[in-house]
Amino acid sequence: MSLDCLPVTERRWIGRDVVRVEDRSLLTGRTRFIDDVVLPGMLHCAILRSPFPHARIIQIDTSRAEALPGVAAVVTGADALAWCQPARSTPEGWGLRCLASDTAHFVGEPIAAVAAASRAAAEDALEAIDVEYEPLEPVTDPFRAMSGDSPLVMEGKGTNVMFHRVFTWGEVDAAFAGAEHVFTEKFRWNRVGANPTETFGTVCEWDPGTLELCVYGSIQAASSAALGCAGTFGIPSSKVTVKSQHHGGSFGGKGGARGIVVASMLSRKAGGRPVKWIEDRSEYLVAGGGQAWDRHYEASIAVSGGRVTALSVTLVDDLGASGEGFGALGAAKPLAAFTGPYEIPTARYDLSLVATNKTPVFPYRGMGPPPHFFVLEQMMDIAARALEIDPAEFRRANFIPADRFPYTIPSGNEYDSGNYGEVLDAALSLAGYAELRREQEEARKQGRLMGVGVVSTVEPGVFDWNAYAIVGMPQTGVPEGATVSIDILGSITVRVGFSMEGQGQYTLVSQLVADYFHVDMDAVSVVQLDTRSAPPSFGPGGSRLGVAISAAVLGACQRLTGTLRRVAAALLRAPEDQIELWDGNFVLKDRSGGALSVAKVAATMLARSDLLPPGVDPLPEATYVWTAPGRTPADDEGRAKSYLTAAQAVHVVVVEIDPDTGVVEILKYAVADDCGVRLNPATVEGQLDGSIAQGIGAALYEEYVYDEEGQPLVATLADYLIPTINEIPVTQKTAVVTPSPFTPLGAKGCGEGAIHTTPAAVMCAINDAMAPRGVLLTEVPASPQRVWKTIREANR
Amino acid sequence: MSSTNGTRPVRVTVNGTVHEATVEPRTTLSELLRSQLGLTGTHVGCEHGVCGVCTVLIDGKAVRSCLTLAVQVDGSEILTVEGLAAADGTLHPLQEAFSAEHGLQCGFCTPGFLMAVYALLTEKPDAGEDEIREVLGGQLCRCTGYQSILRSVMRAAAQFRESKLEWVR
Ligand code: FES
Ligand code: FES
Repeated sequence: MSLDCLPVTERRWIGRDVVRVEDRSLLTGRTRFIDDVVLPGMLHCAILRSPFPHARIIQIDTSRAEALPGVAAVVTGADALAWCQPARSTPEGWGLRCLASDTAHFVGEPIAAVAAASRAAAEDALEAIDVEYEPLEPVTDPFRAMSGDSPLVMEGKGTNVMFHRVFTWGEVDAAFAGAEHVFTEKFRWNRVGANPTETFGTVCEWDPGTLELCVYGSIQAASSAALGCAGTFGIPSSKVTVKSQHHGGSFGGKGGARGIVVASMLSRKAGGRPVKWIEDRSEYLVAGGGQAWDRHYEASIAVSGGRVTALSVTLVDDLGASGEGFGALGAAKPLAAFTGPYEIPTARYDLSLVATNKTPVFPYRGMGPPPHFFVLEQMMDIAARALEIDPAEFRRANFIPADRFPYTIPSGNEYDSGNYGEVLDAALSLAGYAELRREQEEARKQGRLMGVGVVSTVEPGVFDWNAYAIVGMPQTGVPEGATVSIDILGSITVRVGFSMEGQGQYTLVSQLVADYFHVDMDAVSVVQLDTRSAPPSFGPGGSRLGVAISAAVLGACQRLTGTLRRVAAALLRAPEDQIELWDGNFVLKDRSGGALSVAKVAATMLARSDLLPPGVDPLPEATYVWTAPGRTPADDEGRAKSYLTAAQAVHVVVVEIDPDTGVVEILKYAVADDCGVRLNPATVEGQLDGSIAQGIGAALYEEYVYDEEGQPLVATLADYLIPTINEIPVTQKTAVVTPSPFTPLGAKGCGEGAIHTTPAAVMCAINDAMAPRGVLLTEVPASPQRVWKTIREANR
Repeated sequence: MSSTNGTRPVRVTVNGTVHEATVEPRTTLSELLRSQLGLTGTHVGCEHGVCGVCTVLIDGKAVRSCLTLAVQVDGSEILTVEGLAAADGTLHPLQEAFSAEHGLQCGFCTPGFLMAVYALLTEKPDAGEDEIREVLGGQLCRCTGYQSILRSVMRAAAQFRESKLEWVR
């Protein structure tokens, strides 16, 4: 709704660019990341990994390693069989144990692990472990994997198809049959992923006395990790404590579950000594949580009278060797925005999730829509080009009109609000679109390959589990809680259940509380609790935490105000309903009589039991747990009100291709974005910038390459090309603000919108550039080699 | 002078404090700083020389501490991120600029950026955008998309040209 709900004359913090509270300790090197944690008696873990994509493990001999100086414990698949369950997975039943026991399923799969006095000693000990393998035929092509004669990734399953279903929303066959035009194309999205600058790390302590497990780690979702540990080890969740350290980015792809289980087993075997495991970059690249979206698409759209009447998408999604990374969720999330910003009445989704002998896929920022929108937006351009309609105007003609919100899309989700035409206009005028087309005409006359991409997408924000119901996440609701507490001196502490990972959420909490109680931001401290102390919390993910934590904090402030007001009423000798909080004081609504500051009321509660009204506890503190209202369970076609908000963006990208080298240069990048009310505009801008950079990486540079035998060819950051400053254009940005009617402050989720849009926009621009040559590039990333080859085809 | 188990003594000055330590030949400078001297502000992102997260100054020059062996720095002066802010906690102007321009999100890459830029600007106070971009091109950041980092550095560079003395540590 809006920021006007705050009880102040003038807001000093929220909605403004403020300096982040996180910065000082980060800038001085004082923030404690997981590799900075040192516990008494701590051992260091190193992991032995499979060199084969698919192999039988004939035998493992660890005796030489165990005899080395400094080695405290060695674990193998036999220990995993004895002590743990396979990982939970989506789809269910496709999880592996943390250490392979009889079969290795992908290169880099953990086989054994050592805990020793130093990391170097542990790594040396790995070389003294003898493993005898019998290589098996690997499964690497998902289409072959689906055929009857393929070897099996998991023998017990009897198939490599983890999941197959066709979802039909509306009379899609009739729409195709009756259409004036039908366009069909195939697309390939190669594996990309998160690659935060800090890899995963953990310190695990298995207390042999209490039989409790304590886990520190660079963990994105601490409460999920705690439940995962309890399930894997078969111990009560009340005996597991997870404390997430502040960490160096995550983007959904921090990974780490196997590392936690392995380090915990080593701690158990080493008599309870804490064990640290820090994943190195090569481990992360080969077998960590950094691989996502290995997809083969076929898509069709039906167009009549310039309007899209049906969309059909067939996806074969290669999830790699197990469902342990929850990569399947990324195939389900497109349901939340299947038809993008368009009023497309019918749709179909033919979805296959397939196992191969590659590293299991994990979430990555965007969680699935980036490839989906790449496909949808190429189809929009293919149709516009064939029908000779300007691509921007084709989109405009198909936009959901501004007066139709809240709007339910065929795949079931509801978009809260928007004004897509206005956002398009803002982007086109920022980019100087008409002039760009004139420049392009000139460039084409000179034989230059210049192209313009105009792309619009919707960013589902504030995820809910029901979005993933089709692949086996039956819950509805993702509660996020906060406790606001005032001490006897009037200082305010907010307790939350998540750590800092870069989005500035502690700043957001401070802004909101400081404005609510009319104090300086410095007067508010934000404290992270571990999973056994915190109120229900999921943490960052799914463009959710900004909205969720601001709603929780606001609720807690309001609840606390209710308690304080009872005390203030007694002190002011006025009826409670005549008193309100305004600018940090409890005052009479008619402004007669005195005023009592929040600090004074709190101090009275704690220090003057004689003045405390009957029935009020001496506790100036309140907890509020928020979950998105109005979410619905998925129906039998997967339709649910899942994501609470729908932000929308239009990106205009101009590229020029060097036909001799295939190198793509981005000449211009303009963005208009509507993510509702911006609680900290500088932070929103940072989310856009970072997400655009990752989108450009996915569109042009980044790729996890495997050879045909399933060997990964990417093992260093010299192979996996994360863009540097010199690959990222300076962007122009403008904001449109359509407040969300469903969130307390009118904000919408905003962390993923740009990566939803950027790859599609860059690819549309590239294909626009090559259009005069009559060729189409349907595979990302558009590496120079792929672009060059595509241009060659035209010349043939 | 190397002992029978291969370890060697090294003497280094880090942020003005003299340290003596015994290291293995394979110990890297980043390990010496982090594990032996307790200076964990220097981070490690790849250990193979690409990300630049581990950048520190050795005798005024920016280097990758993950690719430098501890034995190589015997007798050197090292500056790490912990040496930038004043003793009373006042942030260095470069740190102030990063905060003001939102040049960091998760902050894991930040010490590397700060040290690389500090080395550039102390050596070439008049560095223009091209030179700044060239140096920043050796550092990876996965969060910010670099726009705000560039703004931070341009702001710091302008400030530095006006008041060099406050800068040098
Ligand atoms: S850690 Fe040294 S360059 Fe990456
Ligand atoms: S701020 Fe996170 S990597 Fe740069």
